[in-house]
Amino acid sequence: MRLPRFYAKKRGHRRTVSREWGVVGDGLFHGALLVAGMCFGGLLVSGVAAPEWRINHEFRETTGTILAKGLAKTTVADPPATVITNWRPCLLVRYSANGVMHESWSHSTTATNTSDREVALRRLSDWALGTEVVCWYDPASPTMVVLQRGYNWWLWLLSFLLPGALVLIGGTGLVRVIRAWGKSEEHRAASAGISELLDPLAQPALAAPGYPAVPICDDLVNSPGTVLRYRLPIESPESWTLVGFGLFALLWNAVVVVLAVGAGLDLLGGRIDWWLFALLVPFLGVGIGGITLFIRSLVFATAVGPTQLEISDHPLLPGGRYDVLLAQGGTGTFQTLTLSLELEEQATFRQGTDTRTEQLVVWRQQVACVHDVSAATDSRFEARAVVDVPNIAMHSFTSAHNAVRWRLVVRGTPERWPEFCRTFPVVVFPVGVDLPESTSRSLVVHRRTPSQEVTQ
Amino acid sequence: MTTATDRVPSKPKIEVQFDRPHRQHEPRDTLAVRYRIEGCDGERICAIEHSVLWYTEGKGEEDLGVHFFQRVTDRAMMPPATTAGAFSTPLPQSPLSYEGVIVKVRWCVRVRLFFDGSRDFVSEHVFNLGHIPPARMPSARA
Repeated sequence: MRLPRFYAKKRGHRRTVSREWGVVGDGLFHGALLVAGMCFGGLLVSGVAAPEWRINHEFRETTGTILAKGLAKTTVADPPATVITNWRPCLLVRYSANGVMHESWSHSTTATNTSDREVALRRLSDWALGTEVVCWYDPASPTMVVLQRGYNWWLWLLSFLLPGALVLIGGTGLVRVIRAWGKSEEHRAASAGISELLDPLAQPALAAPGYPAVPICDDLVNSPGTVLRYRLPIESPESWTLVGFGLFALLWNAVVVVLAVGAGLDLLGGRIDWWLFALLVPFLGVGIGGITLFIRSLVFATAVGPTQLEISDHPLLPGGRYDVLLAQGGTGTFQTLTLSLELEEQATFRQGTDTRTEQLVVWRQQVACVHDVSAATDSRFEARAVVDVPNIAMHSFTSAHNAVRWRLVVRGTPERWPEFCRTFPVVVFPVGVDLPESTSRSLVVHRRTPSQEVTQ
Repeated sequence: MTTATDRVPSKPKIEVQFDRPHRQHEPRDTLAVRYRIEGCDGERICAIEHSVLWYTEGKGEEDLGVHFFQRVTDRAMMPPATTAGAFSTPLPQSPLSYEGVIVKVRWCVRVRLFFDGSRDFVSEHVFNLGHIPPARMPSARA
């Protein structure tokens, strides 16, 4: 085993060059997380959860008399220079345990601690001196008595959530390392079972039954068309842009509002924080810009109108011919409206600490092109075309980091708006038999609007 | 019959023979492979792994799908008792071999030898599944 190197790097993955050292490092890292989680969990369980559970399950009930009351003060150092003071109501109780009378200060859970002395005093005033109360004592140590029982669910949640996350991450990582130890990459890949559970993010999308690495198309065939068999779902990059602009405008302006409220309160109080005002001006400018961009995108998305695509069958097969109905709603005139069949490759890779995805269209065929389309409010524009999938086309392919995708793309040039592009994914399956050579394509245009020129 | 030979600086040499010419296979065909191991004198082999798999190449991270896997640990089926082996498997319908621009899908047969100790040696032999032509960038006019 060679000594490890820590500076070797390829596409963001820091490598030790030696696979054995890499596995050892991975195992140590996950083992440390597991141990830390177990220690942390053990401390929380023994210090918080177990005592509370014992009070609720093992302490015995009796009656007692309140003899005295007061506040217990606890100070905890909060580096670098402050201390936190907590107050807790304490009651001196006389009670009988196993036939023996005891007098002791009541024990209370950490939930009764408060940093507000007034709150602690109000809680204390609920208890009157000389009254008889129900109390519970520890059979193993009868001098320990409590006047209240119950659970602090936040502490329980904390006790299990944080250590649980560490144990889960460390444990699954360690199991993965142990399972992979001494195995070849083929052996690891062939070992079905819990590997998907151990590393769910690295798993590819669901494959169609009997067609490994071909994506399923259930989501593409669950919407019937009005004229043809299926209506294809849209995958519009413009919609994501709109959502992105909207989120940006919302979050940025929330920050601006917080700053503006702070500045306004200062102003009302007769103080002017010039630094805050200087910060507010550029923030306000960017906020207004964000809102403008969002409104512009929103107006554009709604002004162009919806695009719909229906297809006669799905999934597609190499060499197959399919009727397609293109429908464009909205108002106004489009200089051109084109429909293309495209094959796109997608590769996901790591660059530094970033994960990047690159897409590249490697094949494109124009299916239809119409000029000077006029859509009206009462009727949408419709055009029918025939899509031919090439005989020797690569089928749709998807794996964890790579994909080959087929899609129908509608590109439009509205007269008064920028160009738009709307994508409709389709799935092409492989075939084991040769299909007849596709012949010439046909194109039919339905004219619900004035005559359109159709070219192909 | 086609023959492929891999050489590494160390001794082992694995000669693989495919049952189809030009290593061209169709989906659902049965892939039959025979191999011969040479040059392992003096080193004991403790296991041999046969696998038929596809993997991706290109710009993205490498993905791998194992279609067939077999681990042989019977000493009688490995050198020095015998230096030859064979295995076969029906091929799946997908993914087909693909020579894309940034994504490539390759099929291969791997024979991996595990020597006593922690050393292993792998010999990889690529074959084609299907007849997908290489992808080309679309012209600007398209």
